[in-house]
Amino acid sequence: MITEKFKKVILDELNLEDFDIQDDTTADQVPGWDSLNHINVILAVEKAFNVHFKGIEVLKCQNIGALQNLVNSKLEQK
Amino acid sequence: MIFNIDFSKLLQLFTYQEGDPLLFSTSFFIFFFFTLLVLYKIFAYKKSLRIFTLIFFSLFFYYKAVGDYFLILVIMTIANYYSGQILGSLKEGTGNRKFLFVLTLVVNLGVLGYFKYTNFFIQIINDISSGHIDALDIFLPIGISFYTFKGLSYVIDIYMGTFQPVKSFRDFSLYMFFFADLLIGPIDRASKLLPQIQSEINVPRENIGKGTYLIMAGLFKKIVIADFIGLNFVDRVFGDPTRYTGVENLLASYAYTLQLYMDFSGYTDMAIGVALLLGFNIMDNFNAPFKATSIADFWRRWHITLSSWLLDYLFAPLQMKLRNLRIYGTAIALFVTFFLIGFWHGAAWTFVFFGTLHGLYIVISVFLRKPKTLLYNKLKLSNTKLLKFFQILITFHLVVFAFIFFRAFSIESGWEVVGQIVSFFQAGVFMQFVNAYPMIIILMVIGYVLHFLPESWERWTESFVVKMPIVVQALLLTAMILLVVQFKFAGLQPNIYFQF
Repeated sequence: MITEKFKKVILDELNLEDFDIQDDTTADQVPGWDSLNHINVILAVEKAFNVHFKGIEVLKCQNIGALQNLVNSKLEQK
Repeated sequence: MIFNIDFSKLLQLFTYQEGDPLLFSTSFFIFFFFTLLVLYKIFAYKKSLRIFTLIFFSLFFYYKAVGDYFLILVIMTIANYYSGQILGSLKEGTGNRKFLFVLTLVVNLGVLGYFKYTNFFIQIINDISSGHIDALDIFLPIGISFYTFKGLSYVIDIYMGTFQPVKSFRDFSLYMFFFADLLIGPIDRASKLLPQIQSEINVPRENIGKGTYLIMAGLFKKIVIADFIGLNFVDRVFGDPTRYTGVENLLASYAYTLQLYMDFSGYTDMAIGVALLLGFNIMDNFNAPFKATSIADFWRRWHITLSSWLLDYLFAPLQMKLRNLRIYGTAIALFVTFFLIGFWHGAAWTFVFFGTLHGLYIVISVFLRKPKTLLYNKLKLSNTKLLKFFQILITFHLVVFAFIFFRAFSIESGWEVVGQIVSFFQAGVFMQFVNAYPMIIILMVIGYVLHFLPESWERWTESFVVKMPIVVQALLLTAMILLVVQFKFAGLQPNIYFQF
């Protein structure tokens, strides 16, 4: 389940007013989220939630829901 | 005797002949493919027999291209299959798993490196140390750059946990051997092709029309356009650029860019068409690349399966590793990726230069991204047709410039082409050229116009052919083959991408 905060971080980073993000939405469906911008989104998420991802953890994410789960699991470990 | 058959010649057809692979556009391939289709039809309800027939034909196809070296493909297939099995069974995060993964990478890249780059490095060592180590007599098995990447994507996906190892060695073998994309790609992904092999194999009616259309389009692109302008124009100018004026060098640079696209995308169309007729959807490699509005956009449209492979398996991990450097990290990761795209094409300085150029283009564009957006907004140019026109024009010329070095025999020779264009243009020669070689100009115009037509037009033509009765499709195909034969008098050119 995509939280409001998580969604807002992504939209702010990509300068989007609004965009419907669901668990199975993939990065390339979101306007502006291309391979170059990808890293900025990841850094923004890390900063907003004060977590640190391992490279392989992010690479394994196949959709935005998986990234949300990754954030959740990092927050639980805290 | 009624039939005077020369059995030694017949035998030659079925044995390896150096430099004579089974090109899709040869008459023996038509025989080969027709036989395959007949067996395919007979085994329509026996999936296993269908797959084994495809495996057998694919191995024969590869044997015809490289002789006994087809065994390397077999060995690498076995190695990657078992590596995948073991990786899938080991627990994530263990040292053994990581060790096996690295070992598999080293073996794959080592085999590719040995066959492709050994002599290049020997030459570099000789140049640096002014010593003399003899070059080794190494045969480069065509297709190795492509199937190495296919095998690697399978193993990497399993290691990353995004793909489960396949149980059947038979299915995995077909993924690796499949003749349609074996020699020059598209570099298919295990996650795309293997599920198709595992499910029921059907050839819907629509596939037949679409496949036939693509084979026709491919033949036209490869033989009528690419081979003709290559042999009759590009080869001559690039053979000795200083003998020609700047106008001719510029036209030859445009012509080569078109030739490379028509050659490679033509072969890809045929590969996709052939695969469709056998019930498989393989990945596409091109999407009107010269319509790109930036270099990044170009690489999303040109040789897509190579660029997306490197994007997923090299650029993304590297960018992630360097993320604390922010934009500089992205720039470094991009430069490394494009440098290697160049080097992947072959062990020569021209390819290294080509990759470096694209690396520089893309790094510069990363840094210009923000200022450019601000400037366009200020001038109210954003999303205008005028801006798009200039973006396409500039991107196209950057691409042509890099391809000059891709084609040239040496970097110096590439600079000669550029030098002639800059300092010995002689615009007046253009009309003389048009009068002397109208066919070259006509084919270039046809080629570029077809490329720049709206996508919807091509879709319409395709669906028009798809809806035709099979008999009409067969007649069209025959007409295309006859046209192609007319153009083939100049001799059949091997595909440019065979050397990579």
